[in-house]
Amino acid sequence: MSTNPILKITNVSRTFGAIQALKEANFEINEGEIMGLVGENGAGKSTLVKIISGFDPGFKGSYQINNKEVKFETPSQAEESGIAIAQQELSLIPNMSVAENIFLTGAKVKKFATLNTLAKMARPYLDQVGLTEVDPTTRINLLSVGEQHLVEVARLISREAKILILDEPTAALGEAESRRILEMVERLAANGKSIIYVSHRLDEIFKITKRITILRDGVSQGIQETKDIDVNKLVEIMLGRELANMFPSKADHISDDPKLEVKELWPDGVLEPVSFSAFKGEILGLSGQLGSGAGEVLASIAGALQSRSGSLTLNGETFLPKSPSHAIKKKIAYCSSDRKKDGLFLGRPIFENLTSPALGAISKYGFNFGSSEDNYSKNLAKEFLIDVKRMHDESGLLSGGNQQKVALGKWLSIKPDVLLVNEPTRGVDVGAKSEIYQRMRELAARGITIIFASTDIQEITYLPDRVITFYRGMMIDEHRLEKIKTPLILKEITDPFNETNL
Amino acid sequence: MSAIIENNQLPFSTKFLQFYKDRTLLAILLSLFAVMFIYGIFFTENYLTITNFKAIIRDAALYGIMAIGLTFVTLSGNFFLLSLKETASICGVTFAMGMATGFGSPDLAGNFLVSLLAALAVGVVSGVIQGYFVGMGGNPIVVTLGGAGILYGIGAWWSDNLVINFTRPHDAEWLGTGSFLGLPSITWSFILIAIAAEIVLRHTNFGRKVYLVGANKAAGKATGHENFSMAIIVFTICSVCCAFVAVAFVAQMDSAQSNYFSAEFGSSGDMTILVIATVMVGGNSIMGGYGSTLRTSLGAIFIAMVDNMMVLQGFNSGPRIVGVGLMIVFSIIVFGLFAKGSRAQE
Repeated sequence: MSTNPILKITNVSRTFGAIQALKEANFEINEGEIMGLVGENGAGKSTLVKIISGFDPGFKGSYQINNKEVKFETPSQAEESGIAIAQQELSLIPNMSVAENIFLTGAKVKKFATLNTLAKMARPYLDQVGLTEVDPTTRINLLSVGEQHLVEVARLISREAKILILDEPTAALGEAESRRILEMVERLAANGKSIIYVSHRLDEIFKITKRITILRDGVSQGIQETKDIDVNKLVEIMLGRELANMFPSKADHISDDPKLEVKELWPDGVLEPVSFSAFKGEILGLSGQLGSGAGEVLASIAGALQSRSGSLTLNGETFLPKSPSHAIKKKIAYCSSDRKKDGLFLGRPIFENLTSPALGAISKYGFNFGSSEDNYSKNLAKEFLIDVKRMHDESGLLSGGNQQKVALGKWLSIKPDVLLVNEPTRGVDVGAKSEIYQRMRELAARGITIIFASTDIQEITYLPDRVITFYRGMMIDEHRLEKIKTPLILKEITDPFNETNL
Repeated sequence: MSAIIENNQLPFSTKFLQFYKDRTLLAILLSLFAVMFIYGIFFTENYLTITNFKAIIRDAALYGIMAIGLTFVTLSGNFFLLSLKETASICGVTFAMGMATGFGSPDLAGNFLVSLLAALAVGVVSGVIQGYFVGMGGNPIVVTLGGAGILYGIGAWWSDNLVINFTRPHDAEWLGTGSFLGLPSITWSFILIAIAAEIVLRHTNFGRKVYLVGANKAAGKATGHENFSMAIIVFTICSVCCAFVAVAFVAQMDSAQSNYFSAEFGSSGDMTILVIATVMVGGNSIMGGYGSTLRTSLGAIFIAMVDNMMVLQGFNSGPRIVGVGLMIVFSIIVFGLFAKGSRAQE
């Protein structure tokens, strides 16, 4: 590692009003290197990324490329210097073809180019990112989310980017698609590109990076050689303290008193009807990649997705929820995977979010004069460690972790018998993750049956008492307590029938 | 990892700032009032007279009531009811028909209660039908534009495009031209409706649902508050408000014609534009979830003040309609500038 860094940032600070987002941040990257960038939500990752990619010119400090001081006023200036960023939210146009999306800006394209010409021009870039089998004339929205991420990167490469910033490229992806992204990153690095890899998924960081920059409260904590540290050490540096145990211990035994019986449930996206039961006070994990049907099963138990057939039995009643409000009446709560879309009322205050499913409980004869709602929402907030002082703030102003706590905590207001959670910790930092796991365990101990679906393999291994695996719309297997092992589950959700070895 | 603060009481300064931040738009509107008022006193003749103020609040009352109804639609995220004047038109015709002919039975001719109930019933039916289609997922703009054509057409067809007269004295005079304690009846109605609407929005579960569904339809559905019933209720509230205004206006004119609310109404011509302007000038979010009927009521008084001043300055209807248009544009700009800071940012 004696090479000169091609990008070097020293002593950079950035303030927004009274908030200091970055102070004394240092960062560097060599040619052909994969540099991990990690930190909790709010540690300053995105601010640093914005500074590097030219979105934020208002910082103090030194920014050098190839030992020359630079100052970017706009993202396009940064791009001319070979720095490109793939944002978490994709900027592709869904109903245009792959090739058209790659050459969207029109640079390097002749005035009258047919789709075929574009397709030929796009081919080498697609090959570079590993999309060898994708036809460049396909429309973007026919590709999977993972493939779309790869197209986005192909677009960056087509503009001759030397330094690529990937901001959480795998956040919305399942295991297999994530693996494709990682392979692409390694291939690009081998071809001499420098890659800044931002992720909450520490296992990926360890798999592909050579060095890691850790940010904490806006201060960079020195650059770590990946081979010299382990996950615990990394988390300790990230949090500034030791994370005693991220996952609460599992239950001693699973009760054999079935609380919820699911019979022959058959929602769209699931190949054959699914039946299982969930026991009182257990945490049941549904494991599977995106499109495996685990999330769909969960949504249809909650009435958010129509099921072609089947029934639920809960508290001696047999029914099939037709809508979320029907399920809520039966004390089934469902926290969806996309809190911004249908989990939170972002523009409304936190306390309104917390009491939103249970307006009846805070009012008399339909009237609500505030005081009982105040107490009610404050109690909920305390239970979920949400800052009581911020109850009147808009929920959209909270960080991802706190938003997730509100999205989850609001369901306690209906005193649920069954709590369904799809992706309990997507886009949530390590600290809030551990708090959410603790709360889920406490709720289960109180007798609530919790069923969650997740694509996060750590979560699915260490949190639940029982795991059911799904693969391509089929239920594969069930495991209990100490029989839950990562390699076994990984095998069952990616390749249960040994197809890759055929 | 937010620490729990046991102290539940917010410091006063925080509370005050919060209060002020939430009400930036209100503050802007109030200062505009002051500017208008001072300008009126010094530069407009006959401005500071009781008769003139009665005229202002009377005008404000007519479209203010409709605008309060429309506020429910807008707050719940269902954009606008574009058939405002057509709903008023058919309800006005219905009411006049009742007053003039008793719907074919001479015994009922001139019976205020029957005519009023008939007009309100027409409002309820048109509101429920339009709300049903919007609730089923129809685009509110398209559905209510279609509704506008149908409602206006039926009214014109039924009345043969004629003016329906009924002679004084009649039982509806108290509502049309009567007054109570010095204020016109329609103004009292406006005040009562405004207070009731504000209480409903702030202190009932239904009001809370209006805000929640307006802020995020998908999250509303997930928490058991569906837009289906919401759309039907808010469109019905709005249509009934239109029907009530139509009845009051027809009672004042002693006659009805299907074009009354397109040309003859008030001073600024087209009623739909005027009512939408009122909701916008009040600073309600077009996307829903943010605003109040109090803002709308203030918006109504503001527009009436501006319009009144232009009349006293001798402008004819053309420039006054331009004025209303400018106010819509202005309110959108102000809203865009000042609401951003308080809205959730990702």
